[in-house]
Amino acid sequence: METVTLTIDGRQVTVEKGKTVLQGAIEHGIKVPYYCYHPGLEIDGSCRVCLVKIEKMPKLQTSCSTLVAEGMVVSTEAPDVVEARASVLEFLLINHPLDCPVCDKGGECPLQDFAYSFGPNESRMEFPRRVFDGEGVKADVDFGPTLMLNRNRCILCTRCVRFMKEVDGDAQINIVDRGYGSEIATFQDEGVHSLISGNLMDVCPVGAITTKDYRFKSRPWDNPEAIDTICTFCERGCNTTAWLRAKPEWAKGALLVRTTPRLNPDVNGYWMCDIGRFDYHWIEGDDRLHRPLVKMEAGLQQPADWREATAKAADRITAAGTGSLRFLISAHASLEELFLIGRLGSALGTPEDGVAISWRAREKPQPADTKFKVPPIDAPNVNGARDMGFPVKASSDGRPDISAFRQQVEQGRVKALFVFDPGPPGSIGDVSWVSQARASGKLALLIVQGALITDLARAADIVLPGASSFEKDATYVNYQGRVQAASRALPAPGDAQEDWQIFVNLGLALGITLGYTDSAHVRADVAAAMSSNAAYAGLADLAFARPVTAQHWLQASNPSERWKWDVMFQDLPPVKFAGRPDPSSIPTVIPLTERD
Amino acid sequence: MEPILTRYIQESNSYTLDFFLKHEGYQGLRKALATQPNDIIEMVKASGLRGRGGAGFPTGMKFQFVDKKTPKPKYIACNADESEPGTFKDHVLMERNPHLLFEGCLIGCWAIGAKMAYIYIRGEFYHVQKVLESELAKAYAQGYAGRNVMGSGWDCDIVIHRGAGAYEAGEETALIESLEGKRAQPRIKPPFPAVQGLYDCPTAVNNVETLCNLPCIMINGAEWFAKLGPEKNGGPKLYCISGHVKKPGVYEASMNTTIKELIFDRAGGIREGHQLKAVIPGGSSVPILLPDQLDIPASFDSVQKAGSMLGSAGMIVMDETTCMVWAAMNLMHFYKHESCGKCTPCREGGDWLWKILARIERGEGQMRDLELLTSISNNIAGKTLCAFGDAEATPPLTTLKHFRGEYEAHIREGRCTVPADWRAKGVAEVAH
Repeated sequence: METVTLTIDGRQVTVEKGKTVLQGAIEHGIKVPYYCYHPGLEIDGSCRVCLVKIEKMPKLQTSCSTLVAEGMVVSTEAPDVVEARASVLEFLLINHPLDCPVCDKGGECPLQDFAYSFGPNESRMEFPRRVFDGEGVKADVDFGPTLMLNRNRCILCTRCVRFMKEVDGDAQINIVDRGYGSEIATFQDEGVHSLISGNLMDVCPVGAITTKDYRFKSRPWDNPEAIDTICTFCERGCNTTAWLRAKPEWAKGALLVRTTPRLNPDVNGYWMCDIGRFDYHWIEGDDRLHRPLVKMEAGLQQPADWREATAKAADRITAAGTGSLRFLISAHASLEELFLIGRLGSALGTPEDGVAISWRAREKPQPADTKFKVPPIDAPNVNGARDMGFPVKASSDGRPDISAFRQQVEQGRVKALFVFDPGPPGSIGDVSWVSQARASGKLALLIVQGALITDLARAADIVLPGASSFEKDATYVNYQGRVQAASRALPAPGDAQEDWQIFVNLGLALGITLGYTDSAHVRADVAAAMSSNAAYAGLADLAFARPVTAQHWLQASNPSERWKWDVMFQDLPPVKFAGRPDPSSIPTVIPLTERD
Repeated sequence: MEPILTRYIQESNSYTLDFFLKHEGYQGLRKALATQPNDIIEMVKASGLRGRGGAGFPTGMKFQFVDKKTPKPKYIACNADESEPGTFKDHVLMERNPHLLFEGCLIGCWAIGAKMAYIYIRGEFYHVQKVLESELAKAYAQGYAGRNVMGSGWDCDIVIHRGAGAYEAGEETALIESLEGKRAQPRIKPPFPAVQGLYDCPTAVNNVETLCNLPCIMINGAEWFAKLGPEKNGGPKLYCISGHVKKPGVYEASMNTTIKELIFDRAGGIREGHQLKAVIPGGSSVPILLPDQLDIPASFDSVQKAGSMLGSAGMIVMDETTCMVWAAMNLMHFYKHESCGKCTPCREGGDWLWKILARIERGEGQMRDLELLTSISNNIAGKTLCAFGDAEATPPLTTLKHFRGEYEAHIREGRCTVPADWRAKGVAEVAH
């Protein structure tokens, strides 16, 4: 790597050649604010807030657009820089509505943060602020199926314009009108229609673009816990952060309030798709299985406890003949779960064609030259199943080819079928033929283990409630063959258990001792079994994130900017929320004041 | 000095190809095509020709900066987006002498190795576009442009493109953006257009008047051209004189001519019964000169020495009936309306300045507004992406510098104290 050494604020710093002064400053923890610059987008140089002084240059320069050079002497603290920076922030704020108390971005807003740190103490603006309401224009508008746009809050950094042009590949957003009247707009106010539109909320440095999903749902200081995990909704495995809301016991609503992308240059960059971002509501939805279900003789499914359900399952399997049990596994099964299924199968004597791996593949229409392609396969672990020796057969359109297995079931040659479907609804692919075979009596025993009460689960004799990928530590192999860890963010609801545990218990009931007491233990054995595959090196030592209380609510600030706080310590305003409030500090009696 | 560029513009058919050919038309191009491109660039450098668009950058240097070794195509982009208030010279040349511009474009293309010249006309110049297009068709038909230019075997096209009407499109990188079909907003410099311009290819962006000077340099030589004016300010210059003079108009003169001569001799002096109050010598974006500062040659260097800029040589002459607060407000209305909105200080600051100026002009201002005006203007100047910010900050700063008393009078009296004749006639307000 060719490097350049320059001086910033009297400090010698070494930066990779070709980087900008701003990037160099950020890398070395030197405070420079910015809005139009985004590391995932091209340089624009329009917000002017990153001005610095560079020796031998007559005017202040925007650090975002100035390349580092050997021997360059930069000052970010010279009085004229401080003044110019404050003046640009003053300009940005004179027409900003300052409706922070009702703005979704409030608390994780770079405009707030930088205005606190670098802005002027007070505004000298005495005129009414610019508002876009009027003459057929509305300030706060619908911005497509997923987003809302508030033009009054916009500071015209054009990050969203550039995101759509450069990353999405379909330049749906642009600025209309000019100068003081400039506003963000889409053609005929159609809004943004894109599979990766949610990223616009991340790139927006103010509350101008918000998602309908998260709008008015929570405030940053109400989301004290953030868990770094991965998205399992397709084969890309975007690195994400799951945000949990601190919720009083009696409050309604979900704990998981949003997922946001986490920088991984090799997998997803700064982005994630809308499916991963918005389609998480099933996890705490009404269709979750909370207790095992056992079908009574009358044909009704009744809740049961685990001992009863596991024993019943073992009895029925034994009655059908243990060697006759067949497995239909969703490619949402993690490496650990696949490994346990493999062990169960070999102990029971399941033949090689007695296991099928299934998933859903969908066309996901996107512009031809998009830089962020959402893969068609809606499953995180097709490659993992293939690596572990499971029969993974895909047809040319990406769909699974399980026709032989299906034929066995439809012809009544399968006596007992175990289906494992832990994923989002429908992600196992078409399994209506299983329910039909059960209904027609061609299939005598159907056991379903999964997270949701689906049509398939309704047809089952025994239903075992498992965990979603947000509720267990598990590992998956993405489409690049990269082993990644999804961390447990939430407990599984009700009596539902983590799936490795269900397999271990079922094994015990069948007289097979798998001998595991936690998922790390399983993972160690997977690592041992896969030791010949270099991609799996380090699997046993993979780190799983734990819900961490955001010690500093700004440190876990604006998700797309989080990396910034990791590398760059800012002069922060006083800590406004650190951890959960201490219950002992809350007075139990509200003192009454006497009235006259 | 005999007019050179505007010599025949009074003739009714001066714009036609036939007329042009009878008066040395395309002889400069003929000579250029027989000269090595590098030698032409050296000639232009030796002539001391400086860009007539406003900045006064040496044209030969600009041509030399164009990357000659690149495998990419190269372009000439002629800046005909003449929209600086007080400037109206380029459209005279284009309307009355269009072939001179074509000839200049072709010589420029030959010099830098381009095969395409774009003439970017201001959006409002519909009539100019019509003249240029019909005359260009004639030039094509008679082999002066297009394939095999004048039988030399060299191909060079000229494309006329009319913009959508934005002052900012006159900024060279914004002009390029607009030519590419995007919003007319400036790019970050560097890279400069000479390295990475139109379609990311090396591009020389030149003003109409600049290119129109190339034929006479080719015909008469660099030395002749340089000697027409003071050192480093050679050649003929068009001056647009407007405002309170008896004969406003476009005047061609040597840059040896003083501003005083231009105003009082050429433009006939101040209208009867009035006195000169101030002159903006180079289009609305430059600082004001006072009557006692006008006895200087109207050259790039000496006007700069006097604390202003020759700019586009759009001289706005104001007599004692002009309220300087009103003038600043009027200019600021233009700038706030024409700001492209790309970068923050200009977009937000321009409107703010205008609001404060309008408040003072209405008589509702306060003394602290004057400090505010200065502070905001200084916060815009030098902090923006392009030179628009400096231009926008100029009207309040220069009027405050020279006419602070008028501002204070507005604030103190709550009304305008200047005996403006339009006010006396009962024109209540200039509509915005």
